[in-house]
Amino acid sequence: MTTIEHLRTPPSPEGTAAARQTWWDRFDRAALRASEWLNPILVKETRQALKSRQFMITFTLVLTAAWIWSMLGVSMIGPNIYHGFHGWDMFCGYFVILAFPLLVIVPFGAFRSLASEREDGTYELLSVTTLRPRQIVSGKLGSAVVQMLVYFSAVSPCLAFTYMLKGIDFPTVLCVMFYTFIASLGLSVIGLVVATATAEKHWQIVLSVFLLFGLALAFYAGLAIVIGGLSQTSLPFQDPEFWAANAAMLTGFGAYFVLFFCVASAQLTFASNNRSTALRVVMLAQQALFTGWMGWTFHHADGDLEILFPYLILSGLHWTIMGMFMNGESPELSHRVKRQLPQSFLGRAFLTWFNPGPAAGFVFAVINMATVLLLAGAALIANAAFYPGRLPGWLGMNPREMIVIFAIVEFSYVVVYLGLGRLLAAGLRKVHQGGMLLCALCQVLLVLLGCGAPLTVHLMIADLRMDYSLLEITNPFWSLIEIVEHRSLSPEMVVLLVVLPVTAGCVLLANLPSVVAAVRQVRIAKPVRVAEEDEFFELQRHPPQPIIDPLAD
Amino acid sequence: MVGAHPMIELRGLYRHFGRTRAVNDVSFSVARGQVFGYIGPNGAGKTTSMRILATLDQPTSGDAFVDGFSVVDDPDRVRFRLGFMPDYFGTYANVNVREYLDFFARAYGLRGAERTRALSYVMSFTKLDTLSEKPIDGLSKGMKQRLCLGRAMIHDPAVMILDEPAAGLDPRARIQLREMIRELAADGKAILISSHILTELAEMCDLVGIIEQGRLLAVGNVAEIQRGHETLHATPIHARILGGADGASQWLAARQEIQEIRTDGELIAFEHRGDREAEVQLLRDLVQAGFPVLAFGSQTRSLEEVFMQVTRGHVQ
Repeated sequence: MTTIEHLRTPPSPEGTAAARQTWWDRFDRAALRASEWLNPILVKETRQALKSRQFMITFTLVLTAAWIWSMLGVSMIGPNIYHGFHGWDMFCGYFVILAFPLLVIVPFGAFRSLASEREDGTYELLSVTTLRPRQIVSGKLGSAVVQMLVYFSAVSPCLAFTYMLKGIDFPTVLCVMFYTFIASLGLSVIGLVVATATAEKHWQIVLSVFLLFGLALAFYAGLAIVIGGLSQTSLPFQDPEFWAANAAMLTGFGAYFVLFFCVASAQLTFASNNRSTALRVVMLAQQALFTGWMGWTFHHADGDLEILFPYLILSGLHWTIMGMFMNGESPELSHRVKRQLPQSFLGRAFLTWFNPGPAAGFVFAVINMATVLLLAGAALIANAAFYPGRLPGWLGMNPREMIVIFAIVEFSYVVVYLGLGRLLAAGLRKVHQGGMLLCALCQVLLVLLGCGAPLTVHLMIADLRMDYSLLEITNPFWSLIEIVEHRSLSPEMVVLLVVLPVTAGCVLLANLPSVVAAVRQVRIAKPVRVAEEDEFFELQRHPPQPIIDPLAD
Repeated sequence: MVGAHPMIELRGLYRHFGRTRAVNDVSFSVARGQVFGYIGPNGAGKTTSMRILATLDQPTSGDAFVDGFSVVDDPDRVRFRLGFMPDYFGTYANVNVREYLDFFARAYGLRGAERTRALSYVMSFTKLDTLSEKPIDGLSKGMKQRLCLGRAMIHDPAVMILDEPAAGLDPRARIQLREMIRELAADGKAILISSHILTELAEMCDLVGIIEQGRLLAVGNVAEIQRGHETLHATPIHARILGGADGASQWLAARQEIQEIRTDGELIAFEHRGDREAEVQLLRDLVQAGFPVLAFGSQTRSLEEVFMQVTRGHVQ
């Protein structure tokens, strides 16, 4: 058939169908090609979600609710819609409709998605594949993000409509949506962490109740912040401090998001693998970021020493909590971990503390807290050198001395409680093969005992004035508050300054044998079979180049 | 990389759950192309040892190796070489047969044309190609078993661990499964299979291990186990004596190695303790003693009988 004949011939129905199919086929092939680079779990869950009844019902409900609210809102506003400023009121309604799926359904869906895999045994099938735990967690998160985007797409025309109604500016809409998105992402990763906490069905049910309660709280907090907070004031987009505060919040969010992501991955990682080093790097990065932001604030506040208190307090809390979890790690290093131990003197001196194990973890927390103390000392020197007159009046006679006392006492408490916690966890492991969570709980109980027991005795023997006495020496919170509030060096403080560092030293000594044992771990060689395979892959990656003799013919 | 090491090896494997010793000093090995049948009553420790091999659990002590790699220290290297079919289906909702296999192919890192080829081969091998668009919720038990076998072999592993793959299948499906397993073994895969259907295991396995209360009671090929068992235990013998077996019965009763003699006219049955040569000697003695022996034969015990005698039916 010539070209002319071809043009004259009317297209057959089959031919038209084939042409249509060809376009679709092209799209299908393009989607398939794109999916090659996507996480397998994301691909599978997207396919599942598009066919699932739950997703269809939720999506339809969101659309219907948005449509009903549009109708209801427009009819309530009436003719005022042409000249009034009703965008904000309508936006609040749409926000409620969007926030519920984003802050409750999506994170709970992420939790259920992983929890049900563990309950149904499909997680075991996944874990025997070559998928890494990080890929599993990122796949689940990716699936949550796809769901979020679908919900956003359902409500976005309505949000554009609110902008047209006036009364709300576009940056505010964008800012609220962005924070709702990252809140949903953060809650989803928490949901995944909760799902990895236990494989037991009854504990999963208990945890799901707590999670739902937490998500409901997050939902109401979101409503309170957006509807309650933003209705009073508009966001100060022109203020540089607003952006600095946002950058600090996003840094904090990012740091904790990565931490939770690594925690979820570590929980899913096979026991003989190194589950700790990545977490320690993240903890260190968190501390560095926090220090960076505090340094920036210190500089912008012209060396205001008050900034050192949140820095010391939050760092102390950070390393105490992290230290409690690190104390709960198994003391046995697997052969696999031992193959990767640092060998050089410098490597062993600086990197041993990143290795798994409670002793290494305890020293890691103590070293980091000591670094915080040194940095606080550097800030004091900077204050004295560059801002000599800048001293907070409320700190009493000598604010710099007060900060030094506060830092020493806080550091001693961290060492004492973490050191005793490590010894307690080691004892607990001898009688019960409990996990990290149980060890951490026991250490929390130890701190509660340290605070509660003297308080009970105090209530029984003293009057109701509740003045601070040395009986409360085991209560870190009251002791530190007393240092700040007392404003002068009282006899109790002198005793605290002597007893606590000495006790901290004793606790460090008591932990020394385990620390020495951790340092004395040496690297072991790879098994022959592993070395063979590594060599094989290395040869495949870098085949030996033929030697060319330039003098040969 | 083909080495001299066995494809599956368990070395002094122990797994304790509190006071229960689920696996208690189990050692055996399976070479390339061999099918190893793992037999034992419920709760004997078969699934626990299989889960350890599949990197789903850790041994209390000892180690297991797949293609020379430790399942404890190098689980990621083991997983690539291993296809595991557990005793449950583990299926997803709202997924059809092709999507299910496609997901696992992706999970094993197969991409593009390689994945398409693997999917076509597996669906054709398991005869699921006509059901590719069918939701897996709607599959029959036999079809689900095929799907699970397909999932386990999608990445062409060198070692396959199949936990009760024939459970609940009808006779035709069982025969088809047996053929598939023999085909996989002929393809060079080392296969560890557990089953309660012992006659089938006897037909398809090169090696058999009998486990009870975590202990491996016997290991070897079926004939070896049967022979070994007969050396230790009495072998049933049937004979026919022309004119009546009463005289022969009295003669046999005087011998130490003979027990449980029963007669019925010319027929006589008894249990003989001894090896094959001792049986030949007994026949020679009977003839030399003047008994007109018309027929004389020992009965080899089936794997089921051996299993029943070796195990005691104890559970932990």
